[in-house]
Amino acid sequence: MSEKFVVCNSDKCLGCGICEFVCSATKDKSLNPSFSRIRQVNFEPIGSMAIACLLCEEPSCVAVCSRDALLKDEKGVIRVDEYKCNGCGWCIRACEFGAITLHPTKKAVMTCDLCDGDPECVKHCPFEDALTYATIEEVAHKLRKEAVDNMLRVIKAGAKSSS
Amino acid sequence: MFGYMGKILRINLTKGKITEEPLNENVARKFIGGRGLGAHILFNELKPGINPLGPENKLVVATGVITGIPFPGNSGLNVMAKSPLTGIWGEATAKGFFGPELKATGYDAIIIEGKAETPVYLWIHDSEAEIKDASRLWGKPTREVQKIIKAELKDDRVQVGCIGIAGENLVRFANIMFGFNHFAGRTGMGAVMGSKNLKAIAVRGTGRARYAHEEKLVDLLIEKLISKEALSGPYFPDGLFKYGSLADLGYWQETGRLPTMNFRKSLFPGYENLTAETLTSSPYIIRHNTCPHCTVGCNRITKANAPYKLDPEYATPEYESTAALSTLCMNDNLVATLKAIELCNKYGMDTMSTGVTIAFAMECYEKGKITKKDTDGLDLTWGNHEAIVQLVEQIARKQGIGNLLAEGSRKAAEKLGGGAEEFAMHVKGMEFPLHDARGLKGHGLGIATSNRGACHLQVETDDMFEGQLAPDIGIDEKTFPKEHRDRLYAGPEKVKIVKIIGDLFATFDSLVICKWTVYPCGGYKTSTLVDVVATATGWDFTVDELMKTGERIINLCRAFNAREGITRKDDKLPKRFSEPLPEGPYKGEAFPEDVFERMLSQLYKLRGWDEKTGIPTRKKLEELELRYVADNLETLGIISSPKRKR
Repeated sequence: MSEKFVVCNSDKCLGCGICEFVCSATKDKSLNPSFSRIRQVNFEPIGSMAIACLLCEEPSCVAVCSRDALLKDEKGVIRVDEYKCNGCGWCIRACEFGAITLHPTKKAVMTCDLCDGDPECVKHCPFEDALTYATIEEVAHKLRKEAVDNMLRVIKAGAKSSS
Repeated sequence: MFGYMGKILRINLTKGKITEEPLNENVARKFIGGRGLGAHILFNELKPGINPLGPENKLVVATGVITGIPFPGNSGLNVMAKSPLTGIWGEATAKGFFGPELKATGYDAIIIEGKAETPVYLWIHDSEAEIKDASRLWGKPTREVQKIIKAELKDDRVQVGCIGIAGENLVRFANIMFGFNHFAGRTGMGAVMGSKNLKAIAVRGTGRARYAHEEKLVDLLIEKLISKEALSGPYFPDGLFKYGSLADLGYWQETGRLPTMNFRKSLFPGYENLTAETLTSSPYIIRHNTCPHCTVGCNRITKANAPYKLDPEYATPEYESTAALSTLCMNDNLVATLKAIELCNKYGMDTMSTGVTIAFAMECYEKGKITKKDTDGLDLTWGNHEAIVQLVEQIARKQGIGNLLAEGSRKAAEKLGGGAEEFAMHVKGMEFPLHDARGLKGHGLGIATSNRGACHLQVETDDMFEGQLAPDIGIDEKTFPKEHRDRLYAGPEKVKIVKIIGDLFATFDSLVICKWTVYPCGGYKTSTLVDVVATATGWDFTVDELMKTGERIINLCRAFNAREGITRKDDKLPKRFSEPLPEGPYKGEAFPEDVFERMLSQLYKLRGWDEKTGIPTRKKLEELELRYVADNLETLGIISSPKRKR
């Protein structure tokens, strides 16, 4: 998985839903969030998270489609052929993350296409670091950095208080 | 009709009858929803003099014409009824996820009448409504009620507005929790629900309003409202997100206007324990909380284990709540304050009225009006945080001295007598907000003249306009030079600002918009908001029409209050504010009664109200297309008919 995708940090996401609006607005010029390819889930009071396509290495959605309507392109993005798709919903059921949804007016499913490499949801997310466009390796690197930063802070604070 | 759903739901709990009414197009435009729509309904349907806790009172829950359009601050609903706390116009707004969800059910407003025989809740979903049994929910705390209902309806996307035990027990300042810790806090709307045996309202909808120019609206929102630059005034982007409204606490201390010891003092020695900086760097904050489509995220959720165990389901501090339950009662214990807030939220009780009423009790205790005998041994010495937490419990349960305090500070003072009235910090029966009127002359006038009693959210001027202007609503450098915008200035120009902001804020509670996100407070411009209304509805809507609408709504609520006996004598500040501040940068500053009365006369004149009575004149009401209101007041003998003119 060396491709970049839309990653949500549940520590920073507040569940405001601006990503859903921006996606619906960009893709369908609609105010209705059910047109969104990224969907947000709130678990009060613990946290919130937005989920978009994770660009699986071996996508089960593609594998289960009986009409070859879903294909993974060279950048890892799942492309939906709206003429082939009849909205049967097998792919929706196959995706463990709920990242595919049925388009409210077309008889076809929809999933995140990363806005050709410049995701609008990431650009408009109001909360710093809640949504990022990154590869999974970049995400891991960031997590490692945060962990080390935290550890160093604790050590320094300890050194200070004992001196 | 664009923007609105076009329907109102009416539920009669006595008869168990549910009916649907179309929203009249003329009313829809004249009142723009929320407070305006509710005031129109309640003025027409409530007889003056009714018992607010009787079945004859009605509760209106209304959203606004643009509710449901995704942009920061636009997620409100307004709850209205005759208030059991004040006996006059009662209303409270709540933000969060409930308002848009209610609208998505297909209704712009619901009117709840009568009284159910046994506890019930309402279940409204996609143009259908049911009255359901709530006997197993009675006695349960707010968040638990929400969870049980969601489980019962097998849908976690249901939004629930509900009362806690304070509402059931008819505590006069009980509130309603909508969704996760958003409250219709003031004027006791929760007690009205309780009096109707209505425990909760659950909503879930998939409907959408139609808009005149949806694609244009989408572009407008992306360009002007949800961009990070949209909210770039002095309070943004960092202020409110980083510190929340609690940042005010440090600010009021620094500027010597922090309400302390029931407004007797204006500096609090232990304030450093309570500031936003202290809370932010403490281990207590677990995360921020937000309203839908808001880029601010001002709310925060806290947790602690000692000295009190805090439940993150409820412990959500902000400035008014925190100051009311800490500095005002001389309590410098942060976790105890958070605990008191948590309990208020759990039991469904207005944190502000609770705190101010406890401060009142502490002063009565100091002065010997309340003794240990009255409190069953509870020591109400200033700053005793254990007593504060205990009193919150007792008020919600109406136990011991809590039974007296649950009546609110005005009624409690009347019952105690012997001068206790002087310690009750209220206007028209509602407890004072945590803003010292001596150091905020315009705001003070606004609080004294607000239609729902002492409310800080009907007018804000003073500090706000010292550093910024709002030319699109006529507050520019030329009309209002710097010296007239000074916080202590009490001249006629300040009164003009009070009128302008009063009219404007009335529209915010009607649309129903969060006041923090709109221009005078540093957010997007009022003209942008007007663009949204015009684009959504197709109306030729202008800033002038918005302001006139606000004035119409203010006058309608004032007429409602006039029928309940409110006149000039009720537009006053507690006596304490005419005494000088004892300390700090503004030491010696007072709000003398003659200065106040002069400002009041000027405001009445600007508003076109009778200078002696403070009641709107027929001329003003007719100018605002409120002839039916003038006719009604005349029939009741509240205003004289033109023929019998003196």
